Amino acid sequence: MALEGSLEDMSLSDLFQVFRMGPKTGVLLLYNRHERGVIYVNQGLLVDAFVVSGPERKVVASKDEAVLYMLDWTTAGFIFRHDPSVVGRAVQIKHDAEWLVLENMRRHTSPQTAVPYRKVTLDTRLQLSPIPSNTESQVSLGVDQWRILSHAANHQTVREICAETTMPEDKAIRIVAELLAIGLIDVSSAIAPPTKATATSNSRPDPSHPDARQSAPPVGRSLLSAILRRVSEL
Amino acid sequence: MKHMLKIVVTGSFAAGKTQFIRSISDIDVVDTDFKTTTNEERGLKSETTVALDFGTIVITPSLKLYLFGTPGQVRFDYMWEELATGCIGYVVLVDSCRPAYFAETQHLMHRFTEITPAPFVVAANKQDDPAALPPMYVRRRLGIPAEIPVLPCVASERSSVKLVLISLLKHITSYGATSDAEDNVVDDAPSSHASSA
Repeated sequence: MALEGSLEDMSLSDLFQVFRMGPKTGVLLLYNRHERGVIYVNQGLLVDAFVVSGPERKVVASKDEAVLYMLDWTTAGFIFRHDPSVVGRAVQIKHDAEWLVLENMRRHTSPQTAVPYRKVTLDTRLQLSPIPSNTESQVSLGVDQWRILSHAANHQTVREICAETTMPEDKAIRIVAELLAIGLIDVSSAIAPPTKATATSNSRPDPSHPDARQSAPPVGRSLLSAILRRVSEL
Repeated sequence: MKHMLKIVVTGSFAAGKTQFIRSISDIDVVDTDFKTTTNEERGLKSETTVALDFGTIVITPSLKLYLFGTPGQVRFDYMWEELATGCIGYVVLVDSCRPAYFAETQHLMHRFTEITPAPFVVAANKQDDPAALPPMYVRRRLGIPAEIPVLPCVASERSSVKLVLISLLKHITSYGATSDAEDNVVDDAPSSHASSA
């Protein structure tokens, strides 16, 4: 039993957010063709990490630098297993995950690669992230990051934020990607909930209507109550 | 007179749909499982549903709740429309340990909202694994709005499946997909099941 996937499906920054949300304790193994990386997580905090290369397992990077090194990987596979023995491991990593994610993005020109499945465009509508954090972050935001954050609370698009703040579009997109990567903002929901039905007991779908075949039948309240009681007894 | 109501259980490949229905059905589940064909699928399970899973819950002697499980792979999506037609609601099961299937689940949810206006809940399965992604993250990644419940679930545990179904039924009620009139089917045929609190 483990959490398994590829960084194309779930980025390392997202994994760090999930570790904090849990908070989770265990070992994260990342692997690509030539290298292996390991990150130890204790109660959501990154405590140690290293990367080895080749069959001789030469250490390429360790501690904070190992995490920064792995944040560059976009196609590696990963396995995270719960492991309570990590609790006793000495803390070797100085900075928290958010700081490391932002530091990695500062070193690169294309921060959008940090969250490949959340494409940021000028029409992307933003919201504040609903995900709570159980630990206090060491990250201090810059003025422009705060400006974007305050507008995200109003569910504005990146284009609207650029218009109001006169911030250049490429800069705004870059900052949005940074805030997404550390989990402070989110892209607004893409799926619309079903509209509330107005069906009555006497309503019947019009068979001539093209949607008639697809309509859910109206269900009596007493019928639903009976089903609820029966399922509750199971 | 016999009456039936239908709830559909859907989700991507290996999300736990067959197990979900097995855990709660009054009858041995009728399944249409065949051996998996691709290496990727074989890595996750040996058999997969190709047409449907079918289970029932007897509500009263004259009323049954039918549970239909859809096949998970997109190549069987022609079955989704047939199974979803006329359902009162549906459950979208998500494997909380396999983010690789999130994109497929999003496609499936979009397709189902096109097929049926019925209310639905999302069940984040495999929450018995301490490494599993929390329901809140599943909600975020799948872009599920706050009005739609995202519930923790362990499809192999009857009590957990029961809670998901109860949440779906309450969600159906709250979405107004019900009539205010009393339904004679239940009143005319009271049973120990229906009358107990």
